[in-house]
Amino acid sequence: MDTSKPAIFVNGALLPMHVRKRVRTVIQVVGADRGAVVGKSPDDLQLVVKGSPPSAPLTNFVEVIGIADSEKSIQAEIWTNFGDAFDTYNYNQLCQLANGEYQHLFL
Amino acid sequence: MNLTEGAISKITSGGATSAELKPTLQVTDLKQVQTKQPQQSDRFRLVLSDGSHLQQAMLGTQINHLVKDGNLRIGSIVQLNQYTCTTVQGRMIIIILELALVAEDCELIGNPVSAQRSSGPSPSPVAQPGNVNASPKSFGTNSVTGGVVGNQNMSAAPVQSPEINQFHNTPPSSNYGPGRFAPTNAPPLYPKVEATAGSVPSSGLYVNQNAGYLNPRPEISQPHMGSYSRPPQSAYQQPPPMYSNRGPVARNEAPPRIIPITALNPYQGRWTIKARVTAKGELRHYNNTRGDGKVFSFDLLDSDGGEIRVTCFNQVADQFYHQIEAGRVYLISKGNLKPAQKNFNHLRHDLEIFLESTSTIQPCFEDDNTIPKQQFHFRPISDVEDMENNSVVDVIGVVTSIAPTTSLMRKNGTETQKRTLQLKDMSGRSVELTLWGNFCNAEGQRLQHICDSGGFPVLAVKSGRISEFSGKAVGTISTSQLFIEPDSPEANRLKEWFDRDGRNTPSLSISRETSTLGRSDVMKTISQIKDERLGTSEKPDWITVPATVIYVKSDNFCYTACPIMSGERPCNKKVTNNGDGKWRCEKCDQSVDECDYRYILQFQIQDHTGISWVTAFQECGEEIMGISAKDLHYLKHEQQDDEGFSKVLRQVLFSRYVFKLKVKEETFSDEQRVKSTVVKSEKVNYSSQSRLLLDMMEKFKSGNDTSFACKAESSYHNPGVNNAVIGNFGSRQAGPPGSNPVGSTSYTGNVGLPANQLGQYGNQQNPMFPMQSSSGAYRSCNSCGATSHSSANCPSMVNAPGQSMGGSYANRTSQGGTGECYKCHQVGHWARDCPGLSSSGKMGGISKQHVGGF
Repeated sequence: MDTSKPAIFVNGALLPMHVRKRVRTVIQVVGADRGAVVGKSPDDLQLVVKGSPPSAPLTNFVEVIGIADSEKSIQAEIWTNFGDAFDTYNYNQLCQLANGEYQHLFL
Repeated sequence: MNLTEGAISKITSGGATSAELKPTLQVTDLKQVQTKQPQQSDRFRLVLSDGSHLQQAMLGTQINHLVKDGNLRIGSIVQLNQYTCTTVQGRMIIIILELALVAEDCELIGNPVSAQRSSGPSPSPVAQPGNVNASPKSFGTNSVTGGVVGNQNMSAAPVQSPEINQFHNTPPSSNYGPGRFAPTNAPPLYPKVEATAGSVPSSGLYVNQNAGYLNPRPEISQPHMGSYSRPPQSAYQQPPPMYSNRGPVARNEAPPRIIPITALNPYQGRWTIKARVTAKGELRHYNNTRGDGKVFSFDLLDSDGGEIRVTCFNQVADQFYHQIEAGRVYLISKGNLKPAQKNFNHLRHDLEIFLESTSTIQPCFEDDNTIPKQQFHFRPISDVEDMENNSVVDVIGVVTSIAPTTSLMRKNGTETQKRTLQLKDMSGRSVELTLWGNFCNAEGQRLQHICDSGGFPVLAVKSGRISEFSGKAVGTISTSQLFIEPDSPEANRLKEWFDRDGRNTPSLSISRETSTLGRSDVMKTISQIKDERLGTSEKPDWITVPATVIYVKSDNFCYTACPIMSGERPCNKKVTNNGDGKWRCEKCDQSVDECDYRYILQFQIQDHTGISWVTAFQECGEEIMGISAKDLHYLKHEQQDDEGFSKVLRQVLFSRYVFKLKVKEETFSDEQRVKSTVVKSEKVNYSSQSRLLLDMMEKFKSGNDTSFACKAESSYHNPGVNNAVIGNFGSRQAGPPGSNPVGSTSYTGNVGLPANQLGQYGNQQNPMFPMQSSSGAYRSCNSCGATSHSSANCPSMVNAPGQSMGGSYANRTSQGGTGECYKCHQVGHWARDCPGLSSSGKMGGISKQHVGGF
């Protein structure tokens, strides 16, 4: 695991707290819009992910890691296909854990 | 012959002494007092009559010879020359010191009644509490006791008067009624048996007295008999009274009087009970070491509510089997009373009747309505929850649902039927009732019909057995009886309740629901198997452990199994190679050409708390390995494909499963070992597993889950977890050196250590310990003593590790969760650092401080 460049787990609601920081989230791909991917965050907010997606077709769920460049968009560096089934509830809980009382446990 | 009229009242009232009055009286009863101590001289009690009153008296030992010579008898007329009156145990007794015989024999004069004036609370001589103690021993020592009265009563009860006339109209219990006391004052030799029956007080303790005459050991009378303890037959069994000029009465062959079932005891030779057959068992054949036999039993209930089981064997069983009809009332006499075998007999009687060929069973053609048809001891379902496994219980409830009959295979290969239904009662609980065998079709079918047509029948279960299979459930046994819509007050109340509000009241089931939680779904960690000593209790523990396979033993992963079908399943016992290419099974006693290969897979699993060996058998092994044991065996041994074989193994390694384990301590060659067997393995479903963990974290955060307390990684971050550890150090860590009075005892050598040694922990520990906060110093930073910040934020912290001589303990705080010191069993340090041994020499902790925790 690459710990040199930690990325904060975020959901849609937490993203605004981490603008200009390196974040990671999982989105459910909804569509593409002018070179960016539009997706749904684990807490059902709409996010825009910029950057160049990998050549392989994106699956339903995709993890993206990159810099939050606004309250609703991420400039993604790493794209990872997470398949077509993913428990967003759990991921949302994880994001809250990572930004709450036990923040110090996360990178 | 004239008796001194009024003498008795004069004497007993104290109005006459032997100086002024030398009355002439008749002896109406004479009896030797039985003493326990043989060295004690004989005493004789007698009853004197003055023609109108009776009085008890005791013969002075110096004139015993009169009795022994036969001069003084019942009927004798005597003149008392010297006597005194004493009160013994609340009753007046005349002690005769000297008397003169006027006539040896005389007819009973007058119609005397008892003049006993008691200083006790009861005016009736027989009902006096004093009687209670009238054991032979007390006769011997006190000379005169209430036993005299007993004797009087006895003699007044002619033997030949059994209460046959009562058989068909009055239940025996009416003997206790106050009305029966009327004849108490009847003259002696009153020929009606009622005199006896009536004169016996309703106090069950009177039994002692009666028995005292029959038997030198009155203790035999049954202590459990409660209020029915009077066995009236004792009057019958008593030796014939000595009637003057009459020979002893011949053995009475008339039927003895009916006694309550509760009064039966093994020391009675003859008795008759009148009871209804509430249940009749089948005639069963059995086979034991002594050969074949048959047995049949039935249950009796009498009008007093006493119940007892009757058992007959072999010819006796044949003799009576067809006579007995369930529901009928019978007179039963003669038979052996033996202690009941409580594992077969759950009736509320300590004894059981074993009939013999001489026993008589006589049907009563008139039904006796005082005998209930059936006796229930209903318990609310909520009580069933706390009752022992296998105990027998009567329950009544509303059937809320019933499942269709299913058939299942028993272990012995026979098939049986089973049907379950839910019973609900006013206690707010419901229970699963399992009907077995014939109940499924007879009663089960009827219940099904009622339920199908939208009804909620009331069902009374007589003698259901409680089982612990999946919570508490009730099942039928061979002696169970089911009553659908019984006509009883309980049933009516239940129906009323159900119609009013029971239908809509949710009830908590004490059956399956509660059990599944309690059984295989307990999520544990591997270390908990050891820590909680799982499997060491009587029953195996069923736990669920999410863990990773880390090593699979590649030798002997399977065994050669017998493929011969026995019943539905193959035998599966181990077969051995005959040497001729055939495989032999010891159990089946056959040889087969080809054997099966079944997994007996041993492997190690690991979670974050530890490692454990587990064993998986056929199905689970296949699930884990992903290949049948046979294929794997061929791969390794026939094809010698080591590469392929290790590939299979490698694939399995480091895969995560949720294991359901059966943990049980077993003994192998005198060694106790806790063995974990995989009963089910599932690939981890990460999604549901995560949810589970999230739930646990949620619970943990709200502070009501302690199951994580042992986890090392969380111990630092949660102050609560460190309790045990901190308790040892807390008083010493904080506060100025030397100023802390608490940390003295075992840590004396460390008191002088810099206070900030544990700085980074201090801020978390403090709030946890009232002991610490009692000193104001602890509220401040542990590192520098300032109050403006906690030690975690202390600017001096950077230097803290360097100063800390005792840091080793501090380090252990964070490591400690993984193990405990096996010398002092405290967590937080290893045995080599144990402060319990010596407090000095453990200072080399500086380097460790850097290792610990961070």
